[in-house]
Amino acid sequence: MDEAQVVGLLVRRCVGGDAAAWEEIVQRHHRRIYNICYRFAGDPDNAQDLTQEVFIKMYRTLNTYDSGKGAFMTWVTTITRNLLVDHFRKSKGDRLTDSMDSAPSEHEDAQPLSEQIADRGLPPDAHVQSRETREFVHQALQKLSPELREAVILRDLQDMDYREIATALRVPEGTVKSRINRGRAELARLLQRTYRQVI
Amino acid sequence: MPGENQHGIGCTEFETLLTEAIEGQLTGARKEGFEAHRRVCSVCGPLFADVQAGQQWLRSLEEVEPPAHLVHNILAATTGISSTRVLATTPDASTTPFGERLREWWDSFVTPVAGFVRQPRFVMSFGMIFFSFSLALNAAGVKPSDVAKIDLRPKALRHTYNDLQIQVVKYYDNIRFVYEIESKVREIKRAARPAEPAAEQPKQNPKNNTSGQPDQRQDRNYSRDENQPVLAALPDAPPAVKGTTNRRFV
Repeated sequence: MDEAQVVGLLVRRCVGGDAAAWEEIVQRHHRRIYNICYRFAGDPDNAQDLTQEVFIKMYRTLNTYDSGKGAFMTWVTTITRNLLVDHFRKSKGDRLTDSMDSAPSEHEDAQPLSEQIADRGLPPDAHVQSRETREFVHQALQKLSPELREAVILRDLQDMDYREIATALRVPEGTVKSRINRGRAELARLLQRTYRQVI
Repeated sequence: MPGENQHGIGCTEFETLLTEAIEGQLTGARKEGFEAHRRVCSVCGPLFADVQAGQQWLRSLEEVEPPAHLVHNILAATTGISSTRVLATTPDASTTPFGERLREWWDSFVTPVAGFVRQPRFVMSFGMIFFSFSLALNAAGVKPSDVAKIDLRPKALRHTYNDLQIQVVKYYDNIRFVYEIESKVREIKRAARPAEPAAEQPKQNPKNNTSGQPDQRQDRNYSRDENQPVLAALPDAPPAVKGTTNRRFV
């Protein structure tokens, strides 16, 4: 019995009122959903609340899950993503982020953003082990626009493939790739600026 | 130059292949073309470096540990208690808590009043009232710090009450003691003075008094009568009464 069949059986049991099956689903997925929420929302409290909301919504709509339309994990990710977007809209945390296509700023010698990368700063490998660096990365992630943030979280932190991400985000695969590339590039530029200021 | 077709691929195609190149999925001629363009293009080369660096930064993030009670909370929220956050997203007038409705009612009442009161003219008036009040308190010797120091514990209050009661009783007893002394002195004086025969005095009509002397009303000089020094040179017979009577009937 493969993973999909196991999950399908669990879902059927759960819909039938089996509390143990529901607990099994929670145990299997709570860590992953919490991590997505934490990386997207930025703080543990919000992440915990959002994770609970995701499971409440899952519990209420579990009977609508159709295994023929996609994997259970993709379905769960879609629910999570929709709630995160709702949360973002409600909290009005739309941050002003630099875009690769944005006009040149008055800083950085008025160069276009995509040309402001002559200073490579320190190589990433020199920092990746430190806890402080991870905190910088986490903070920089919060400064990305929600579209770019969710794409890089699902790809680089959750290791979802492009097709699954496209299904969860309901956008074409090409858009997913473009968002991931832009998200990574903006994150790198933000961190390079941070390190330049720190150093 | 950016956008030009160099070494077989252009900037648009470079971006299309970027994802695969970053993940090491490009091979053969496509890879060579991609690498050649990356080396010479002033836009795509740095872009590739940024995307690669960003991916490495992101991969450096570790999975965080969820709170220990998260599963318990989820199970309680799904199979038992409903999440308050979910309820908050779907407000219903009939299920709105009483406290929230009270607050809304209070806000609807207070907000317009507060806006009206915060006009400059009222603010000036309130400022003057406050200033006057604080001046009056200052003149009366009332200090806010003293008020703050008042001990309102039941034990302290009982203690203060007892002190006050003792002061009142002492004051009353002192007054009583003085009165008793005065009374004793009067008795002694009365005892030392020889007994006077009670003179028969006809009842006089005050209207017939034409002597021009002021009335000897009892309430006047009441205390002085007892304290009048006894004139030792006077004869035994009380002349004052006799004289007065004689003068009146002469």
